[in-house]
Amino acid sequence: MTIRYTAFLIAAVIGSAGAVAQSGSICDPIAEQCQRHITEQYIPDGQFYRTLLNGDETAEFDLTLFGGTTYRLAACSGNGDGSLFFSVVDKKGNVLFSNRDHGSGPYWDLVVANTIDVSVEAQLDPAKAGSGCAVLMIGFKK
Amino acid sequence: MGRARPDTFVAERSPNRLDMSLSFSLKTVGGSAICLLLCSCGGPSGEEGAVTKTDTLAADPTTDPSVMKVGGKLFSLPSPVQTALLIRKLGLEYKQDLVVPNSMLDAMTTRNSKALAMGMYGADLAYLTMYKDGKRAVSTLQAIERLGRELNVGNAFDQPLMERFKNNLNNEDSLLLLGSAAYQAADRYLKSNERADISALVLAGGFVESLFLSTSSPGALKDQNLANRIGEQKTTLGNLIGLLRDQADQEGLSALTTQLVELNELFSGIARTYEYAEPVTEASTKTTYINSTSTVSITGDQLKAIATKVSAIRNSILA
Repeated sequence: MTIRYTAFLIAAVIGSAGAVAQSGSICDPIAEQCQRHITEQYIPDGQFYRTLLNGDETAEFDLTLFGGTTYRLAACSGNGDGSLFFSVVDKKGNVLFSNRDHGSGPYWDLVVANTIDVSVEAQLDPAKAGSGCAVLMIGFKK
Repeated sequence: MGRARPDTFVAERSPNRLDMSLSFSLKTVGGSAICLLLCSCGGPSGEEGAVTKTDTLAADPTTDPSVMKVGGKLFSLPSPVQTALLIRKLGLEYKQDLVVPNSMLDAMTTRNSKALAMGMYGADLAYLTMYKDGKRAVSTLQAIERLGRELNVGNAFDQPLMERFKNNLNNEDSLLLLGSAAYQAADRYLKSNERADISALVLAGGFVESLFLSTSSPGALKDQNLANRIGEQKTTLGNLIGLLRDQADQEGLSALTTQLVELNELFSGIARTYEYAEPVTEASTKTTYINSTSTVSITGDQLKAIATKVSAIRNSILA
């Protein structure tokens, strides 16, 4: 009984560590890939946004975009670009941009005239991924 | 359509946090053991050519502890670099004594105070860089490096970064890029290692210090553009309070959260309007021009009250 319990405990600890490591190991290569889209013209905002998505789940990222600024948003998932749909939506529900209209490209620039609160909604392309890590990165021009 | 569970932001508050944690732990242990058995047993790899899409999550994402403990939405705090850029753009006078003295470092003995200080020094670094105070910027980066080491935020602020920073003191763009990229790498390390609480405090420290720099710079309270920028951070402040309330160490954070709630009450009187306008997209340059308009109305008295409160919060962090 004691041996079985110990074996279970060891398995559980290893398994738990694996689960923790899972998000890191899945998201890290995607982050590396996504970071390439925030080129040297853009200053990173200093934060890292990620979430795990399953099926048709939607991740929502709230941002305040300051007027007079050009932002670059990069949104990535999976092994290559174009696995993630993302849209920029204002607080009244108006879609300001959607990469579905542009070949699900992994990055886009937003030139913001006046400060605005928006949400970035991200969803896996069901044709390319059933589940995965969604990474969002933000940079801005000086 | 379901909502994902991001790894930061506002958690669903529960009086039964302990019960939930226990329940979660048991699920994780059981799930992990099952996963281990399944993985070690292997199994059919599927019919050749039948796979048309990927499932990069080997298991249900809800079994990932770094995701399970939170709910709600992610949000972004404005980069302290943006505030520093605006301060300089408005031509406000530089004051070296506005930044946190490096001598405060020894007073930061707890994990929370170190994380807050790390965020504050980050905002100071952007301010010092913008005003080309290279000597002070280097010593501030050294303070950040020490805090990063003590907090174990990975190797984002390692010696090579210090060297690159020193070698680029005359190149403002490079300095801003290096500092911001290092903070981003540290944030990624913390979130990937289930230490979102430290990440949240670094953000909070940066937010408070940015507000302090923008409200305490000489002439700042008379500048409408800066006043507007402060008022525009109303939503961000609400989000930050939510983020701090989500952290496990409520006892250690209660004083800061209470003060930020009081600050938020001062922000609640600020009026903002928003009017949608059709955006214009240029596919060839992958650019969308967002033309919606917005206004913010903040009075001189509101601004003064906010400045006083921000200064008090900052003092209590540094006390």
